[in-house]
Amino acid sequence: MEQNQEYIVTAFTENQIGVLNRITAIYLRRKINIESLRVSESSVKGISMFIISSITTEQVMARVVKQIKKIIEVFDAEYYTADDLITQEVALYKISKSIFENGGGFEMVNKYPGTRVLEMNGDYVVVEMTGTRNEVELLYKELKGSGALEQFSRSGSVVLHRESIEEKLNMFI
Amino acid sequence: MTVRQNITGAEALLLSLLEEGADTIFGYPGGAIIPIYDKLYGYSDRIRHILTRHEQGAVHAAQGFARATGRVGVCIATSGPGATNLITGIADAMADSTPLVCVTAQVAASMLGSDAFQEADIISMTIPITKWNFQITKAEEVPSAIARAFYIARSGRPGPVVIDFAKSAQVETIADFRYTPCNGLRSYHPVPQLSRDAIAEAARLINDSERPIMLVGQGVKIAGAEQALIRLAEKACIPMASTLMGLSAVPSSHPLYVGKLGMHGNIAPNDMTERSDLVIAVGMRFSDRVTGDVKRYAPLAKVVHIDIDSAEIGKNVRVDAGVLADAGEALEALLPLVEQKKRPEWLGYAKERYDHEYDIVIKHTLSPDKGYLSMGEVVNEVADRFGGDAVIVTDVGQQQMFASRYSRFNHSRSFITSGGLGTMGFGLPAAIGAKIGVPDKEVVLLVGDGGLQMTIQELGTIMQSDIPVKIVVLNNSFLGMVRQWQEIFYEKRYSFTELADPDFTTVAKAYRIDARRVDTYEGLKEAVKEMKESKKAYLLEVVVKKEENVFPMIPAGGSVTETLLSV
Repeated sequence: MEQNQEYIVTAFTENQIGVLNRITAIYLRRKINIESLRVSESSVKGISMFIISSITTEQVMARVVKQIKKIIEVFDAEYYTADDLITQEVALYKISKSIFENGGGFEMVNKYPGTRVLEMNGDYVVVEMTGTRNEVELLYKELKGSGALEQFSRSGSVVLHRESIEEKLNMFI
Repeated sequence: MTVRQNITGAEALLLSLLEEGADTIFGYPGGAIIPIYDKLYGYSDRIRHILTRHEQGAVHAAQGFARATGRVGVCIATSGPGATNLITGIADAMADSTPLVCVTAQVAASMLGSDAFQEADIISMTIPITKWNFQITKAEEVPSAIARAFYIARSGRPGPVVIDFAKSAQVETIADFRYTPCNGLRSYHPVPQLSRDAIAEAARLINDSERPIMLVGQGVKIAGAEQALIRLAEKACIPMASTLMGLSAVPSSHPLYVGKLGMHGNIAPNDMTERSDLVIAVGMRFSDRVTGDVKRYAPLAKVVHIDIDSAEIGKNVRVDAGVLADAGEALEALLPLVEQKKRPEWLGYAKERYDHEYDIVIKHTLSPDKGYLSMGEVVNEVADRFGGDAVIVTDVGQQQMFASRYSRFNHSRSFITSGGLGTMGFGLPAAIGAKIGVPDKEVVLLVGDGGLQMTIQELGTIMQSDIPVKIVVLNNSFLGMVRQWQEIFYEKRYSFTELADPDFTTVAKAYRIDARRVDTYEGLKEAVKEMKESKKAYLLEVVVKKEENVFPMIPAGGSVTETLLSV
């Protein structure tokens, strides 16, 4: 039995209506949940980059990617594990003022590189963290456990390929 | 290039269709599509519109037209229910790689998303069952949308395209209409570059093999690669077996042709797959109806898979040499690299397995003195009388399997069936479309009493447009294939599979179609002759055995070793 694990698909597409629905329909059809999804313009104007994270087996992932590639507006798609890519996430934590009063809050947050305070007032502190998915989740768990986390929001993975993607993209256009 | 000034979006659609050579369309009017029908009124000298009795009939007819001619089938329907009624046919065309352009009307652009009267979100609904779809909300989008639609529908692995056309854009004026056909899109490369390495590897495997078998799929017909395939098979002495969708690509009488594969296939090709050391699959997709249990499929064989769709290579079975290419291009490239061979023992095995099947299944099925009419016998009688030159269209179920087993073909594209989706009700409208597409050929529909009643209203289309289709109803008063499964796997619990049928000949006559009912062998022979001689549409109802089974049968998920030959 093949192991389930997180895979990240990156896809480059025409920036056109309906492409998102066509891609997600391929996951829906196989009942694969999408853990996170980002779509934005790539470094080439008019070409969108999709970053889709899901948990499945490699065999299924490979077939899904082949089906994504068949979509008319898709230039190319590949799947990776998180280690294959340079990945970062941005997360925002709204933390109750109370745990900062004895200094414990800052201690907790400062342990993590890539954190900074965005906003502070009489009721709460908003902390931003840029880090790996794992780091984002560790701080989340710690704050949640302390009972001080009021709100949490995350971007999903932003990724860079280790190889040059621009060259590849320029081949398409 | 057509250039016109100040025309409406509706007229631009008709001009664009003509630019693509689409002079025949199937459709059904309704509120949101009136502007298109209004323009069509003035184009009836250039565009032949066939009025069906239901939108499902229009889309299946367009499929039949496409499959018989190799051209893109076109159908049109109004918004809302008109559009949703097309869905079964669109899904069927997707499963069977049939090029279609389906134009649906849509509510005015300003009303989109407001639950307006007869609004259906057909773009969202058809995403998983179309190769591409697009919504036109401005008249100026018409020529480029239609150009892309035809290009995408017919190129590479063909498929259905939906163009959803807002009523407001149908009536809007285009100041300057210019039509430029689409020859390429930067994100879509339908014909892959042939890899010389892959061809060399495939040729090596072929030259090293002792017991090769070639599996012929519909891709061979789509690519027009029939002759290239046969030349390769003849040079290397490779037996050819067909999938359901590949039938008629190779003439049934070819000495290297060994029959149909799969669940209700012939014994020879199935047993040969089991023994083969090399399976060469051309333009087919290893459907579960071909493979049964994939883990036990072709246990001794290496696999060469030639297909134009990379998602198919390795999807269902392991592949030793994948050749991503147009079938014709790949076969032509292989031809000089394969060695001339003779394989008398391997062909002897094919003959021995055919003789075995003849003795235990075919002989009895075709014997006139067994006391009942077999569906196989009816198909065989049609094949004898029409001599392999007719286009055979089927519905889905037992008659389909008997048709695929006992029909004979001299020409490619002469077997039209719903393979992947298995759509009951496909047959009658598909036969209408096929006859419109190839009027000089005889088109014979083989349909069950169940399937006929799913789209029986299309007899009205035959009447109104005077379409001389020959309809053979194989009436066993059952949903026969489901009944067969109930008999074999569900202890004869015939849950809702027995049908109380109307008198089909009376129904046909009500539509002014000549009709006759027979229930004896002599009656059958005479009636098939009469049907062939008729220049008009003809419905022949044949009362066949109520509880006949299709054998051989490999149970779903089974392997060749579990082939059933009787209950």
